[in-house]
Amino acid sequence: MDIQSVYSSKQSVNEAVIELKEKITINEPRLVVFFASSIYKPDEVAAEVKAAFSGADVLGCSTAGEIVSGKMLTNSIVAMAFDKEASGDVKIEVIENIKENSDPQKALESFENHFGKKLSEMDYKKYLGLALIDGCSFAEEALMEKLGTKTNVFFVGGSAGDDLKFEKTYIYVNGKAYANAAALALLKPGTKFDILKTQSFKALGKKLIATKVNEAAREIIEFNGKPAAEVYAEAVGKPVNEIESVFMSRPLGVMIGDEPYVRSPQQSDSKTIKFYCNVAEGTELTILHSEDIIKDTRDDISKKVRSFGRVSGLLNFNCILRTLELQNKNLTEEYGKVFESIPTVGFSTYGEEYIGHINQTSVIVLFQ
Amino acid sequence: MAGKAKQQIDLIIEAVSKGNATLKITTKTKLLLKGLDPDRYTNSSEDDPVVLDKIKTVAASFGVTIK
Repeated sequence: MDIQSVYSSKQSVNEAVIELKEKITINEPRLVVFFASSIYKPDEVAAEVKAAFSGADVLGCSTAGEIVSGKMLTNSIVAMAFDKEASGDVKIEVIENIKENSDPQKALESFENHFGKKLSEMDYKKYLGLALIDGCSFAEEALMEKLGTKTNVFFVGGSAGDDLKFEKTYIYVNGKAYANAAALALLKPGTKFDILKTQSFKALGKKLIATKVNEAAREIIEFNGKPAAEVYAEAVGKPVNEIESVFMSRPLGVMIGDEPYVRSPQQSDSKTIKFYCNVAEGTELTILHSEDIIKDTRDDISKKVRSFGRVSGLLNFNCILRTLELQNKNLTEEYGKVFESIPTVGFSTYGEEYIGHINQTSVIVLFQ
Repeated sequence: MAGKAKQQIDLIIEAVSKGNATLKITTKTKLLLKGLDPDRYTNSSEDDPVVLDKIKTVAASFGVTIK
């Protein structure tokens, strides 16, 4: 069983893909997952990666930065190749026009036909779902919610990026580039796998209830019946006109016990607050305090590796806000080193998918 | 009347998780992200028709029938 991670920072699509192919020594990969900077032309990169690995199912997306064993990269392509034994059975489906209709029903029916089993009956320990979604679509929540009602299989992944331009992001499936789309892959890997969700926040205990929201716009209008920005400002001890300066270090969390599902504020007009993901009306949120990303990630990975044994491959869907924080603190090299000894690929996302659509989190899949 | 919301939420969680501890937490999380906090309702929580309606809609989305 073999999983390999490789990268190229060559700027031409053709040269980068040739380098990826040269570095991958697996004979006939069954699945190739790749994440590519937006510097590469979408149609070209989709077609060339598929052409290079014509016998494999190929799945990928555009990014806001790439991750490979030992390094955080920019303007690069990273790829992970799985041999048949590691990937097991794989089926990939594309949902197009997700802004208009995010219903995954057809994709789910295709999975059921392929695997000969109802999704509601699939064992979440044997099947793994991957989800790569257009990061400018605002459709992630609706899609993840629908998936969550149809199956107990975990669909994990990230929202595609475009190197912080926030204009157009792409999903790549078997040679084609798609915008306004999501790719869902269902795997029955030939090896054990596990999922790790890690974020570096401590709950401060201050609770706010979202009493009026505009879910479609990812906007909270009121907390506790008062203008959201004013209530948040009071909770974090800042004047309303300065709250944006603490958005990254004081996001909000929906708490399941001690575990936050982070909702990150994006901007405020001094009354309402816009977020990077939606918050349902009536939700209780807790103010979070940022902690040490490197230490927390290293500890969480070590714990998982200890309980899991050998890790053959790791996919890391890491929030762009974490990447920005690491860049601001000059810690990207340190973060890369956390994954130095594990075959890893990942990317900086515009949102992470795990149970729902979340922010400022790293969602990680580990293959044994 | 009281306690209906908790009863119905428990029913959704049980039906979806089929008693599996991991899936119970996952299902609770799914409900929370939909704005329905399972821990907010107890046996003495007043039966609020707006809340009960919301629970019914959420239950239907999971394919769970609530009488």
